[in-house]
Amino acid sequence: MQDTTPKDIGSLSFGLMEPEEYREMSATKIITADTYDDDGFPIDMGLMDPRLGVIDPGLECKTCGKHSGSCNGHFGHIELAAPVIHVGFTKLIRRLLRGTCRECSKLLLTEDERDEFRDQLDESRKLSRDLNDVTKAAIRQARKKDRCPFCGEIQYDIDHEKPTTYYEVQQVLTSEYSQSIAGAMQGDEEEGVERTTPDELAEQTEIELTRVNEILSGSFRPRESQRKAIEKALDIDLTEEDTNKLMPSDIRDWFENIPDEDIEVLGINPDRSRPEWMILTVLPVPPVTARPSITLDNGQRSEDDLTHKLVDIIRINQRFMENREAGAPQLIIEDLWELLQYHVTTFMDNEISGTPPARHRSGRPLKTLSQRLKGKEGRFRGSLSGKRVNFSARTVISPDPTLSLNEVGVPDRVAKEMTQTMNVTERNVEDARRFVSNGPEGHPGANYVRRPDGRRLKVTEKNCEQLAEKVEAGWEVNRHLIDGDIVIFNRQPSLHRMSIMAHEVVVMPYKTFRLNTVVCPPYNADFDGDEMNMHALQNEEARAEARVLMRVQEQMLSPRFGENIIGAIQDHISGMYLLTHDNPRFNETQALDLLRATRIDELPEPSGIDDEGTPFWTGYDVFSELLPDDLDLEFTGTIGDEVVIEDGQLLQGTIAEDEVGEFGGEIVDTITKVYGNTRARIFVNEVSTLAMRAIMHFGFSIGIDDETIPGEAQSRIDETIADANDRVEELIEAYENNELESLPGRTIDETLEMKIMQTLSRARDNAGNIADEHFQDDNPAVVMANSGARGSMLNLTQMAGAVGQQAVRGERINRGYEDRTLSHYEPNDLSAEAHGFVENSYTSGLTPREFFFHAMGGREGLVDTAVRTSKSGYLQRRLINALSELETQYDGTVRDTSDTIVQFEFGEDGTSPVKVSSDEDNDIDVEHIADRVLDSEFESAEERQEFLGSKPRPTNLSEHADDRLAEGTEVTSDD
Amino acid sequence: MVDVSQHELVPEHTVLEEEALEDVLEEYNIDRTDLPKIKRNDPALPDEAEIGDVIKIVRDSRTTDQSIVYRLVVE
Repeated sequence: MQDTTPKDIGSLSFGLMEPEEYREMSATKIITADTYDDDGFPIDMGLMDPRLGVIDPGLECKTCGKHSGSCNGHFGHIELAAPVIHVGFTKLIRRLLRGTCRECSKLLLTEDERDEFRDQLDESRKLSRDLNDVTKAAIRQARKKDRCPFCGEIQYDIDHEKPTTYYEVQQVLTSEYSQSIAGAMQGDEEEGVERTTPDELAEQTEIELTRVNEILSGSFRPRESQRKAIEKALDIDLTEEDTNKLMPSDIRDWFENIPDEDIEVLGINPDRSRPEWMILTVLPVPPVTARPSITLDNGQRSEDDLTHKLVDIIRINQRFMENREAGAPQLIIEDLWELLQYHVTTFMDNEISGTPPARHRSGRPLKTLSQRLKGKEGRFRGSLSGKRVNFSARTVISPDPTLSLNEVGVPDRVAKEMTQTMNVTERNVEDARRFVSNGPEGHPGANYVRRPDGRRLKVTEKNCEQLAEKVEAGWEVNRHLIDGDIVIFNRQPSLHRMSIMAHEVVVMPYKTFRLNTVVCPPYNADFDGDEMNMHALQNEEARAEARVLMRVQEQMLSPRFGENIIGAIQDHISGMYLLTHDNPRFNETQALDLLRATRIDELPEPSGIDDEGTPFWTGYDVFSELLPDDLDLEFTGTIGDEVVIEDGQLLQGTIAEDEVGEFGGEIVDTITKVYGNTRARIFVNEVSTLAMRAIMHFGFSIGIDDETIPGEAQSRIDETIADANDRVEELIEAYENNELESLPGRTIDETLEMKIMQTLSRARDNAGNIADEHFQDDNPAVVMANSGARGSMLNLTQMAGAVGQQAVRGERINRGYEDRTLSHYEPNDLSAEAHGFVENSYTSGLTPREFFFHAMGGREGLVDTAVRTSKSGYLQRRLINALSELETQYDGTVRDTSDTIVQFEFGEDGTSPVKVSSDEDNDIDVEHIADRVLDSEFESAEERQEFLGSKPRPTNLSEHADDRLAEGTEVTSDD
Repeated sequence: MVDVSQHELVPEHTVLEEEALEDVLEEYNIDRTDLPKIKRNDPALPDEAEIGDVIKIVRDSRTTDQSIVYRLVVE
């Protein structure tokens, strides 16, 4: 395929094909229904004629001389004995029949009307509106005409019997006209209609009396004008419907006479398509490559469904011709004609309503042309949009905190299967030979080589040594994935662009993909069995693009809200909290241990000397080592204290979720925006490793004892709940005595419910507060809730205090039996207990009835999430489909594919949320940016010089390269 | 009847003069049919707006103070 250049498609036009064109492009006329002769050779002018292309390997195409694989096949044609209708155009045919004159074929519109519709059509085209609206209106207007405005011919209604039969419906004089007239002349005494004498009738209708008598006797058929006069005089209907079938040949003749100017008004381009071409006289026969026959194990040939259908068509076609030549009666001819129409129809579409589908001998409906294209497994959705790819892998994911967030651990067996093409040059020939000599089994090895002559050789265990010696510059080596290669990593559902990111490979043993836990939020991944897909990139352009645009660190900021989506999570946050909350002290060994997985290998000056004379380092100082030296930041932190960072030193505050967490951790966000993605990546990596070291230093665990409270507290909680129960009883009593006053806009019942709910939720909160008092600040659950790592105080309340009211649809539980929730309660019991108030805590344990109510509330939550995800997924899909073609142009406008403007400026301000720092107060944080600019400009002359000269950001090329650059060391040039 | 164009949430709609329109079309290098559309019977339109006119809408924006949008009046 290397010798074919891709071609640009200039334009596509859709239209009808002329029968003559079918004949011209045809490689042969097909006349026999047989496919192969007794020796197994295809019959000339049969359905498998060798001129239609080759399917058997080794044979040569008789038309183009190419071999199977490179010959696309050639169309043949069948000359139909009689014209048949193309099923795809039945609606358009009906429209044309209704809109044109049956005599002169002109459009039934005056010239003025016609021109008007043509102008409307032009305008619609310009505004890219639906042209059908105009053409439909034109036909509607034309159908109103009783007579042709040009030749004066009376027009009849056209009836369409699906799929392919058309009738002309005429109103003609009924055969029982004399009886009808006579009956009407009798009159009806009951209805008060008087008798009419022939004399009176003659007078009223202005027909001679003798004629009237002749009509009454049935010997004279009244003319149309006379019929109308009689109908009017006697108030009767003398017509009956007479249907006249239009044969395809009639329709073809009719359409041939439609003038070109008239077709234009109906949205058809007369230069390209003539309406009579919708009636087929020649049927193109698809090339054999489109309907290959299969040889079964027993040597028998099995033909494609299309071939079967073509056989049917040819058989009927021949019978039709024979019968017509033999002068068979019209009835038989018509039957055969209909049969031919049926076969041609089902050849194109075998799922037409009203027609029985053509079946295979086994009874299976045949898969004909339209069935190949339609539906999920059809050509469009299945073969063109649903491409499957090579160089992809899928396996379970598991966490590895030692990896950088840019990396992915790839199992060695995957690395050995997925290859990268290496163009061998003088400079990498040594490497290339090493890869080849390692063979396909050794890691970093190679699977294939391509010689400069284009020949591809498989590297095997046996030939790898010899092959390695032959590798020279100019060869291509398909080597295994090695550390540092870039691959694309993806987890479904791919809902946003961070669902597909590029990672650098780290080859590892075992069978799972390994990833750093901080990339879980963008992928929405966890490790309960999730699987992810990996794709190895196959050309340099793709690899460069992935590295620059798609690497995880480049996706640090979410385009949704412009803040970081990657940051510390869960234990990282608990760890940072423990490290910085009370600013603990560490001795030298401990401090070095905390920082061992970071780049810091020398401690700063000790923070102080303790009473025993040993130097110590505080948590603040250890954390500050990770910060950029010139970072200044001040904001209100997670636990409500002021966080102050000056010159890269944390002076005050606790580091937790709002500082370094995912979804907008302030420090991560600032570092990304001010110091760049690479610095942010280093920071997040180091924060996560420091936090892991810290949490391991302090130790962190949670158990049931952490949620139990002293008996004294328990009895206070019981008291509160008993109190609440009493108050609920009081409310119920007041309600039953009609003493309850309703709240504005509520009924008494609703008021009672609301007040009970209020009382009970207050009781739960009080129970929680009592429980809280007994939790120390170093309680792990409290640490997690305060730092924002996981859980909330509500979870704690429910574990230690009381679970509280269970709700279904936002109300207390009211369903179950008649007038009661469970058979354990009296009917109409309004008490807290009978409606799902759980007064126990999760630690103390729920009673069976409480458990049941809890399950009801819990079930609602599950159903809600299930329904919500599917609903919102569908909504999102539709939004994406509707918006996918919009594109921001270089001039800042957002336009669709037809260049119509959707937004005059992207987002009305022309800025990307990722490139702009903003907060609640400022849409764009101008003050901060200006501060930074001024600072660097006015401090000193050198600084100003540095400001004016561009300070190069570390490259984003590779994990290893930017570490060096970030440190400020130079990369030595290759040559 | 309520005149919605006086409502505080309805932004200002004015018919764009021919000259100003040409500048706009030139700025974006478009035909007037490439503009977003507004229906003639839209109650926010000024009375003098005819089909084929271009309307200038100045409205408050969440991202910028004010944003200017042009729309072509269609039937």
